[in-house]
Amino acid sequence: MALIEVKDLSAGYENGYVVENISFTLKDGEFLSILGRNGSGKSTLIKALQGLLKNASGQITVDGEDIFSLKARRLAKKIAYVPQIFSFSFEFSVMETVLMGRYIHQGRLGGISPSDSGIVEEVMSLAEIDHLKDKKIAHLSGGERQRVFIARALAQDTPFLFLDEPSSHLDISYQVEIYQILKRLQEEKGKTILSTEHNINLVIPYSQRLMFLKEGKVSALGEPEKLITKENIKDVFRADVEIRENIHSKLPEISLIPKAGEDS
Amino acid sequence: MKTRVKKLRLLLVLLILLIAGFLISLLEGPVETNFNDLWNLVVKNDSTFRTIFVDLRLSRALLAFLVGASLSLSGAILQGYFQNPMAGPFVVGVSSGASFGAVLCIYLGLNIRIIGFSVQSIFAFASGFVIVSLVYLLSQRKGVFKVETLLLTGIAAGALASALTSFMIFLKADHFEQAVFWLLGSFALSDWNQITAVLPYFFLCFIIAQWLAKDMNLLVLGDDVAQSLGCPVSSVRKTFLAISTFLAASSVSVSGIIGFVGLIVPHWIRILIGPDHRCLFFFSSLTGGIFLIYSDLLARTLLQGELPIGIITAVVGAPFFIYLLSQRK
Repeated sequence: MALIEVKDLSAGYENGYVVENISFTLKDGEFLSILGRNGSGKSTLIKALQGLLKNASGQITVDGEDIFSLKARRLAKKIAYVPQIFSFSFEFSVMETVLMGRYIHQGRLGGISPSDSGIVEEVMSLAEIDHLKDKKIAHLSGGERQRVFIARALAQDTPFLFLDEPSSHLDISYQVEIYQILKRLQEEKGKTILSTEHNINLVIPYSQRLMFLKEGKVSALGEPEKLITKENIKDVFRADVEIRENIHSKLPEISLIPKAGEDS
Repeated sequence: MKTRVKKLRLLLVLLILLIAGFLISLLEGPVETNFNDLWNLVVKNDSTFRTIFVDLRLSRALLAFLVGASLSLSGAILQGYFQNPMAGPFVVGVSSGASFGAVLCIYLGLNIRIIGFSVQSIFAFASGFVIVSLVYLLSQRKGVFKVETLLLTGIAAGALASALTSFMIFLKADHFEQAVFWLLGSFALSDWNQITAVLPYFFLCFIIAQWLAKDMNLLVLGDDVAQSLGCPVSSVRKTFLAISTFLAASSVSVSGIIGFVGLIVPHWIRILIGPDHRCLFFFSSLTGGIFLIYSDLLARTLLQGELPIGIITAVVGAPFFIYLLSQRK
């Protein structure tokens, strides 16, 4: 039973804590989305949950083991991480990048084992990037690149998958595509997924639970049907919205109210 | 597969160049020798030219190779460490630091040997290390450190060390030749002692680098991701910084500052065979060694006397580097 328990976590950088007093449990097989305004601490939280921040207090356990005392190698067998898209000079090919996910499963000097290549092939087809195999990462579009990084995280073969704003900088079609892939991973591979996102409507159909983060603190946590209310959105995002029902998913959906003429 | 063929072809070319380089180095010199003399020494054990072949020319070529390999490996490590093709032993301050130590030694008039090593070498080594440690400590902010800060601090510290070096040379103008040796590099003083001073370190550092090469590959993804992939980032980074310093300081301590090798060789090899450090470290070392063998050949045959090798490497290296940059898309 894969489980992450967080108790009273506070974490941040050299200038002090960005997120404070976070407590929640990530349940086996669920898809939990963390939502909040820019600067609310979403990225900080997802890093802190993997023990990547030195300035942290509180307790995080993965399957009963304390994250802060786990070695990088052991933790890497539990949690895989897809960071926000960033631009950089990256000369590795798609295949080589995905293979990096196999690091903990390989010897230091050893090459690619049959099980490595089997898994790499499988995750590349799951992420629909088999045809890009020999391309250089630098030559890919944003959506393709994001799928490569997801495939790389999958190659790590972990029960938990963490993603930081997987849809940012992507076209609408790619945004949905990424979430479709995540859904398949949850359903077919039994992954437990934790993802930060700022696009509320995008995640509602895919998430079993949402966490609203406001100024570094959890302001609400629960099922989308209960959390998506006018008052909550006003409180967390400082935006005036109407809530309506999505005609396809029958789930709640927010609709922005234009401000024009209101305060003139 | 295509890159594999490319690598094998490159390896073949390099090995031929290496053997040819050693042969020419052995045969070329102020004393006329030919292939027969060498043949007689190797096969018939005729010791007429033994000293010239073994103690002068072979030791010199071997030292040039080792220093070139060390500097290039150091550069390859630093370029991976900083994720920046402009990095090299010069940039983090280690080369300037080491030569500062050597010149300080001349200035103080210390000229003794301790267990086979000259005090100058020890000074060079120690001050190279001190500079890098200082740079490393200064670029830390409350326990967190940024690669850009380290790079910039290194450049500043290197400039300071160079200024102090020049100042000492200015004060003691009568030691000009010695100073030129440390500032522009030379293998004119090579002997077997120096080889034993460089060889073990090079091998040790090379093995460590190769052992951690996969970890270095992961660092391209950023420290956070590398860590989440299971790479012990902070200890890997410390180890790489230490061995690259070690390699550069030990090179400078036997041959002075030889510029551009640590910058262009790994840069060029990266363009040729790609970013995988498992191959990059090996090919950079080999190519850097060969480059210095030929540079040293030029340095000692081009004019009547000896030219400082740093002039050769800069004259060849700088235009080549600019060419490589202009080729980048």
